[in-house]
Amino acid sequence: MTTRDALTSAIASLRQSRTRSILTMLGIVIGIASVILLMSLGQSAQQLILAQVQNTGSNLVFIIPGATKGSRLSSPPSVQGIIIKTLVKQDLDSLQNEPSIQAAAPEVRGVAKVVFENNDTSVTFTGTTADFFPMRNFTIDRGYSFTQADVDSLSHVAVLGSEISKTLFGYRDPIGKTIRLKDITFRVVGVLGSKGLGPFGVDQDNIIIVPITVAQKQMLGIDHYNTLTIQAKDTYTVDFVVSRITSVLRQNHRITDPDKDDFTVRTQADALELLGSITSIMTLFLTSIAFISLIVGGIGIMNIMLVSVIERTREIGLRKAVGATNADILKQFLWESIVLTFVGGMAGIAIGACIVILLYFIFINIIDGWAFALPVSSIALAVGVSTVTGVIFGIYPAQQAAKKNPIEALRYE
Amino acid sequence: MITLRNIAKEYHDGDVSTQALRDITFSISPGEFVSIMGPSGSGKSTLLHLLSFLDRPTSGEYSFFGKTITDLTDAQLARVRNEEMGFIFQSFNLLSNSTVYRNVELPLLYSGDIHPEHRARKVEEAVASVGLSEKLLTPAGKLSGGQKQRVAIARALVNNPTVIFADEPTGNLDSVSGAQVMEILKKLNDKGHTVILVTHETYTANFGNRLLRIKDGLLESDTPIEKSVADDTHAYFK
Repeated sequence: MTTRDALTSAIASLRQSRTRSILTMLGIVIGIASVILLMSLGQSAQQLILAQVQNTGSNLVFIIPGATKGSRLSSPPSVQGIIIKTLVKQDLDSLQNEPSIQAAAPEVRGVAKVVFENNDTSVTFTGTTADFFPMRNFTIDRGYSFTQADVDSLSHVAVLGSEISKTLFGYRDPIGKTIRLKDITFRVVGVLGSKGLGPFGVDQDNIIIVPITVAQKQMLGIDHYNTLTIQAKDTYTVDFVVSRITSVLRQNHRITDPDKDDFTVRTQADALELLGSITSIMTLFLTSIAFISLIVGGIGIMNIMLVSVIERTREIGLRKAVGATNADILKQFLWESIVLTFVGGMAGIAIGACIVILLYFIFINIIDGWAFALPVSSIALAVGVSTVTGVIFGIYPAQQAAKKNPIEALRYE
Repeated sequence: MITLRNIAKEYHDGDVSTQALRDITFSISPGEFVSIMGPSGSGKSTLLHLLSFLDRPTSGEYSFFGKTITDLTDAQLARVRNEEMGFIFQSFNLLSNSTVYRNVELPLLYSGDIHPEHRARKVEEAVASVGLSEKLLTPAGKLSGGQKQRVAIARALVNNPTVIFADEPTGNLDSVSGAQVMEILKKLNDKGHTVILVTHETYTANFGNRLLRIKDGLLESDTPIEKSVADDTHAYFK
């Protein structure tokens, strides 16, 4: 029996029991649609997160106190809440004198209660310098960002994130108003433009930014930094800047053994790599769940094919009597399950794609920067997997059909 | 030439064994019309299954036009069935949801890669030979019993087999339809096809020119059917 004839016979048999064929396919349709949907959503989420990282500036280098133990991308102790005081003003000054460095901004962070009239809430505040705003792509929606003179003179000025501004002032203009942050009075000089979530889900609209001198000396009582953000002159020099930073800090901290570094230097590439691996794992996890439904669908097909083999026992006997070999019968039943899963897979792709498009139009109104993604890999995977499912779950019923004794099959009532 | 020598067939069901055929020896020449008769359980269907390569004997030698059954694999037996044998069953064994065309085409699907036009011509000729050309695209399930058996004959003919095996072909038919079917078989025999018919009806058996009687698994008799008897039967049906 030629493959063309086997395929034609398979399609004819399936068309004769159309309702059953459609119902049998449902499991595969749902499974494949789930794979398409989850892979697409995973990729959209990945694009969104990576875009958020890139939005912070692609030529930035971050210096975090404390050395990284274990893998290159594991967190240094300071990120895990352990106070490390190794990054100080001398480091900042040395780095600012490096010709390859465009700008450097120190940061300290804390959490405090902020009060305006009868409104109060807990908020994350950041103490930094004027360079911080352009380096991190923060835009000023109203007012202005504080200046280096404000930093040097310990001015009690504050720039509010867009969300905290709304929380404290509602629709009133906050510029020039006075707030109390950790019991210190600040004059609001600016409101940031909306920036959404930053890397790792940090809410960049719910922060208050104040001069670092005020934050260090009057709010936190420290003289070290939590982070130093360095801006390379351009993206291509980032690696060189990293080596210069490492060299300068080792010299400042009198470190001769690289294994004893008391700082960690991270680039955007590191962050992208880390986030990429996290989102890939997430997508893999979600897709694995979808594959379970595909297996269930495959078992459904196997059951129905087994019933079909029993119902068509006489037909199998007849085909053998007129010359079909075991291989011919195996081929025909295998084609039937492959056609079932392939057509089911196609329907699943179409339905999955429709849902992805529908969700895209819903999500772009809810999540800033949500991108449409229907990866070709997911479609190729879906087609491949559905066909392989047909083969795997079709082979047992097809073998049962092929093994039938023609005389007993012809006598079957 | 079909030759059986000391053929025996034994079935086993657990510890119980049943001797379905014993020491069967006979030959059939090309172009003969052989009727096999016997009471229920006598072994005539078993004999037909052995003759048509659907089953293998427990012992003995069976040669079908030079091919010895013991020398052939299952796939080779299937090829011989496809190319040199045609089958007609009591219960028609048609694919009732498929058209007459698809039913008659069935053996050709297993005959290798035949050009579609050539295949279509063979099907149309076979269907025309049983007088059902106008039913070519009718689902087999919608035909009368007689028409169904004629479709089954067309299917048996489509590969121009050397031997046609008919297992109680009139058993499910009224007398008129039965007569039509037997007429067709007679004509096929006249054209040179060897016909081997299993029946329990004497008047149907009389269409043949040789009668094998089976009883308790043994060949009880092997006698020619007088031409006058066959002619009388033929005339009776006409």
